[in-house]
Amino acid sequence: MAHRTLDFLFSPVDPPKPSAERKNPLAKDSTFDADAVTALQDEFGERIGDVTLYANEHTVYVDRESIVDVCTFLKDRFGYVYLSDLGGIDRFTEEQRFEVLYNLIAMERGKRIRLKVRLDEEDPVVPSVYEVYPAAGWNERECWDMFGIRFDGHPDLRRMFMPEDFEHFPLRKEFPSLGIPGSLPLPSQTDDGEIVEDPYPAAHGSKPLRRTPFPE
Amino acid sequence: MSLDLKEGFLTTTLDTVVNWARSNAVWPMPMGLACCAIEMMAFAGPKADASRFGSEVFRFSPRQSDLMIVAGWVSYKMAHAIRRIWDQMPDPKWCIAMGACASTGGMHRCYGVVQGVDNFLPVDVYIPGCPPRPEAVLHALMDIQEKIRNEHTVAIDGAV
Amino acid sequence: MEVRTDQNEVFSFWPIHNERLFARLESKHLHVEPSTDPLEAEMSLNLGPQHPATHGVLRCALKLDGENIKSCVIDIGYLHRGIEKLAENKTYQEFMPYTDRMDYLAPYSNNVAFCLAVEKLAGIEVPLRAQYIRTLMSELSRISSHLLWMGTMVMDSGALSVFLWTFKYRELLYSIFDEVAGARFTVSHSRIGGIAGDLSQRGVDMIEDFLPKFTEELDEWMPFLNRNRIWVDRNRGVGVITKEEALAIGMTGPNLRASGVKFDIRRFEPYMVYDRLDFDIPTREEGDSFARYLVRQDEMKESVRIVRQCLDTLATLQGPIRVDNAKHAYPSKNEVYYSMEGMIHDFVMTDTGVCPPKGAEVYHATEAPKGELGFFLISDGTGSPWRMHINSPSFTNLQALENMLEGCMIADTVIIIGSLDPVMGEADK
Repeated sequence: MAHRTLDFLFSPVDPPKPSAERKNPLAKDSTFDADAVTALQDEFGERIGDVTLYANEHTVYVDRESIVDVCTFLKDRFGYVYLSDLGGIDRFTEEQRFEVLYNLIAMERGKRIRLKVRLDEEDPVVPSVYEVYPAAGWNERECWDMFGIRFDGHPDLRRMFMPEDFEHFPLRKEFPSLGIPGSLPLPSQTDDGEIVEDPYPAAHGSKPLRRTPFPE
Repeated sequence: MSLDLKEGFLTTTLDTVVNWARSNAVWPMPMGLACCAIEMMAFAGPKADASRFGSEVFRFSPRQSDLMIVAGWVSYKMAHAIRRIWDQMPDPKWCIAMGACASTGGMHRCYGVVQGVDNFLPVDVYIPGCPPRPEAVLHALMDIQEKIRNEHTVAIDGAV
Repeated sequence: MEVRTDQNEVFSFWPIHNERLFARLESKHLHVEPSTDPLEAEMSLNLGPQHPATHGVLRCALKLDGENIKSCVIDIGYLHRGIEKLAENKTYQEFMPYTDRMDYLAPYSNNVAFCLAVEKLAGIEVPLRAQYIRTLMSELSRISSHLLWMGTMVMDSGALSVFLWTFKYRELLYSIFDEVAGARFTVSHSRIGGIAGDLSQRGVDMIEDFLPKFTEELDEWMPFLNRNRIWVDRNRGVGVITKEEALAIGMTGPNLRASGVKFDIRRFEPYMVYDRLDFDIPTREEGDSFARYLVRQDEMKESVRIVRQCLDTLATLQGPIRVDNAKHAYPSKNEVYYSMEGMIHDFVMTDTGVCPPKGAEVYHATEAPKGELGFFLISDGTGSPWRMHINSPSFTNLQALENMLEGCMIADTVIIIGSLDPVMGEADK
């Protein structure tokens, strides 16, 4: 699919200056784990992609197929027993459109690391880490609900927030923030009425119908 | 027509008596959804004290209540449950849309939120505020009482 | 859309959704063989989304065997409005009031959590006095949140009077917030780069007045509850979750600490001024409802200690309350009213606001009353985030609920839900 470039309505964008490289006042030691990153690179070689550092936070890009192995390795070898966060990112207009981030905590060592997996738009499937971290269960469901990223091997991949009757993925960039009219039905305005299909005109334009007519 | 009544009697209309009784025993059905629900608790709590108006009895069963206070933003997913509960409440019943979100969608102008409960409920009183103070909820309750006192069960002057 | 009319119902309640929800309930734990004994009858019970004891709009679908819960499926999302989507269309400062409405029991903590994340993204250093005031108010809001939790939870187990007592003190706290922030409930007091206004002398006096009264009152309540036969019997040994289970399922906050894990973001990665303060992290080993109650009770006492230390420091610590950099924070009102530059900066801050460098991404976690509250932000170089992800503690805590309810008695459901202290506005994002 050909993407058009997003244009923004204002443009006071400063390019990153050298001064932005100075020490971040809120940077923490806990988010910098060089040992684990080196060990990962030794163990998995080219299946580990870039390693970035911003505000003293390590982000490790991991190949999609080996995310479960990487998590198991970190859990067994470096004490990352606790999954704190998991979420999706839509990098609309980029080559590999979706990202899934994993935020792991090693409590004994006092460290935190972020893993990322990049996915193609045509095939947004990741192996589920539910077996390693049961805490990922709901987060993966949320990610499926919001982005349409499927998690292979998840025992119960239903929508988390939206009803199953809904067919879109709201946090994708092409989804309008006010929703798609008609995609979610409203209850009827009368006791025996029909379900109202399109709420928007009633919400923002014409007045809502009265339940009972006023006596003259 | 004048009646020779002894002391201890007074004359009135049936409507007035019924409305007086109804208006001083409005039992709310607290449809507490979000932040406003906490202020609704404060409305029932010790400082604002809703019992001065005969409304301290929060009935969580719709069958026993006659005033629904919708407090908080209403998502499309929740709207069907609210409408079902409203239909379970016995007539006569009244509805307060508490706060900006319940009245108009408020700051949550987004895909998940119904832009005002009046899209599917007949609202009697809207309360502005995000969230409204308990005093504002008391004011709305007094408005409801006023409305009840002015209702009439029998048509006046042959009106249908 | 097809409308099913079964049992004369004119509209159906999310037909496909419910079908899949109950299909999941049926298919869960398939290893349990269905009994052929005709006397053993199974029953499906739907609890919520409108139920007084579910603390909002939580929905539990339960499969019962007599009074025991055989399997349980939690359905959330009845308050979902998509604030992550909203954030992408707002400037950073514009989004801050939305965080009030996430965990609406402790709005100040959420404000601070969001502002800290943005400050980390843009590399803004906040003046020390502002950090102390933020810490003080966050701890007051922790007390306020735990008070509401205590009132409603004791009410769930059948005692109404504690609810009225705690609300009396919440009203005092509301008055303090009203004085300090200008709003009693949704405060929106924190700003990127500092806070909106300084503490007034009256505000300080009110806090000074509140602390001893509250400590005394708390000491009076606690023996009443800790030795109350009904309260203890209903909580002890109910909803037990072991340390390993709690870690695996990702519980956080007081619920995790009640299972014996000494994990608190205030000590794990200290933010604001927590590394300069002296306080303990209450921990319990039992992992049941009663332990969660005791942990929160001790946390309130620790919060009082922190507030006291902050007040003592603030008495001598003078200085600005917002960073003096027009690209990072709003100028003061004096500047806006009396200088042209100030006014221009005010307009630019409102229109565009802080512009962190393109491609920057940070995660900043704070210890909210419910647990680890983290904001993950990605900047695209403009005034609004490209993506904002919220790691909300209630969401992660609720996930454990399914496991905790299974095997329990139906009467303990409300106790367990209450002891987890979920807030649906936060869990549903």
